[in-house]
Amino acid sequence: MLIEVKNLSYKFNDFTALENVSFEIEKGDIVAIIGPNGSGKTTLLQNIIGVLSPTTGTITIDGEKPRDVRKKIGYVPQKFEFDRTIPISVHEFMSLEKCGKKGHDEKNIIEALREVGLEDVEEKQLGHLSGGQFQRVMIARALLHEKEILIFDEPSTGIDLVGEKTIYDLIKKINEDRGTTCLIVSHELNIVNKYTKKVVCINKQMVCYGSPEIVITPETLQKLYGSGTGLYHPHNHIH
Amino acid sequence: MLEFLQYPFMIRALLSGVFISILLGWLGTFVVTRKMSFIGDGIAHASLAGIALAVLLGWAPIPTAVILASIIAVIIYFLEKKTNISSDMAIALMLTTGMAIGIILLSFYQGYQPELMSYLFGNILTINSYDLWSILLIGSVVLIALPIFYRKILFSTFDPIGSYLSGINNWIFDLLLYVSTAIVIILSIKLVGVILVSSLLVTPSAIAKMFAKSFKSFTLLTIIFSVFIVLIGLILSYYLDLPSGATIILTGTALFILAYLFSLALKRRSIKT
Repeated sequence: MLIEVKNLSYKFNDFTALENVSFEIEKGDIVAIIGPNGSGKTTLLQNIIGVLSPTTGTITIDGEKPRDVRKKIGYVPQKFEFDRTIPISVHEFMSLEKCGKKGHDEKNIIEALREVGLEDVEEKQLGHLSGGQFQRVMIARALLHEKEILIFDEPSTGIDLVGEKTIYDLIKKINEDRGTTCLIVSHELNIVNKYTKKVVCINKQMVCYGSPEIVITPETLQKLYGSGTGLYHPHNHIH
Repeated sequence: MLEFLQYPFMIRALLSGVFISILLGWLGTFVVTRKMSFIGDGIAHASLAGIALAVLLGWAPIPTAVILASIIAVIIYFLEKKTNISSDMAIALMLTTGMAIGIILLSFYQGYQPELMSYLFGNILTINSYDLWSILLIGSVVLIALPIFYRKILFSTFDPIGSYLSGINNWIFDLLLYVSTAIVIILSIKLVGVILVSSLLVTPSAIAKMFAKSFKSFTLLTIIFSVFIVLIGLILSYYLDLPSGATIILTGTALFILAYLFSLALKRRSIKT
C-alpha cells in the first residue's frame, strides 16, 4: 500500500475541518476525492503532502511521514498564485527544481513538454499560457522529475471541455504508462466515473470509498451535496 | 566634463551608489515578484528607531540600523507566517512602531542633529570613508549569498509548494531574502534616505518588466536600469545642485515614463507589421 490515511482529524482552532477520515491508496491507483465546497478536500490534500499535520490520526506514504518522502510527490494546483506579468520562460520554470544530471537537460525538458502535447512553448513566457497549457506544463515538470505520486487539485477549473478532456486523458495515460499514482480532487462526477478507479467521498467525515460505479449512488450524492444532484447520462436521465 | 570625479565625496557616492544599486535591483526582482514592494518602505521607516538609538548613544548608525532592520525583517516574516495578520498589516505595524520609537528616542536628544536629516532624505556629502567601507563590506555578504542561494530563492518565490515538495525548507530562504532586503535598504539610506529608498527597490523592476522575455533578462535589465538611474541621478544632483535622494528617484520616474512610451510605440509598431 502506498498512501494510508488512518483516523485523520484536522482542526483549525475550534473549527473541525476533517474528522475520522480513513482510506488506503494502492501504488498505481487513480483516485478521485469528491465532496462539496468546504468539505475538507484541500485540507486533506495539504495533510497528504505534509504541509499540514493531522490533529489526530496518521498519514503514511510507503510507511513514512509525508514530509519525509515529499520528493516523491508532484502537485498540480488549481491555479497558480503568481503575477502573470512577471517574465519567466517555460524553460526557466521547468528548470527551477534541481535534479541531478537529468533535470535541466534541454532535450529532457523538450521531451517532457512533448509528452504532454506542448511543443514550441519552451521559450514562451509562463504568464502567456492558457490555463490548460499551464496545467500541462506543471504535469510535464512532474514527469521530468519522475514523481511517483501526482496530486491534482481540481485540474479542470476554468478550462473548457476540450481542455478538460485533454488533461484527464493525459492523467490516465501517465497512470497507465508510468504506473504513477494519481490523486485528483474534482467536482466533475461524470469525469470521476469515467477516469478514476476509486473515489473518496468526504464531507468533513468519510462518506464512502470504493470504485465509482459502486459508491457513487443517489444516496451518496444526497449525503454529499443534498437533494437535486445526480449524474447526467445521455437520454436526459438523472440518476 | 567629468569634473565631479575630482571630488572624493562624489567618488564615494558613485562607488557606494553603483554597489547598492546592483544589490537593490537584484533583490527588487524577488520583492516585485512576491508582491511585497511595501516591505522596503516598512523596513526603512522602522529602522529610524535604530538610527535614533545610535545617534542618542553615539554608536555607529549604519551597523546599528542594519542589526535592528534585520530583527524587524524577521519579526515581519513571523507575523506573516505564524499569525493571521496579512503581509501589509505586519509591515504597517512594524513601520509605525519603529518610527514611533525613533521619534521618542530623538526627543531625548539635546540640540540639533544635522546628520539625522541625511538619513531621512539622503545626502551624498555625508557618505564618509567609514560609510563606504561599511556599505562595501556588509553589502558583499549579500552579494556573495545571493548567487549561492539564487535558485532556491527563485523556486520558493515562484512555486512555494513545488519547492517544498522538492525538499527545500522554504522558511530558510524566505528569511534570507527578507534579511538581505533589510540590510541593503539600510545600506542605501544615506544615498536616498529612509523616505525614498523603497522606490529604488521597485522602479528598476517596473521598467525592466516592460522589455524582458525571461527571468534572466528581467534580472539583468533591472540591475542595468538600477545602476543607470543611480549614476545619472547622482550626476544630475551634482550639476543641478539638488538633493541626491530625490534626484535619483525622479530620474527613475522619468526613465519609467520614457520606457513606458517606448514600449507602447514598440507594441504599435509590432501590431502594424
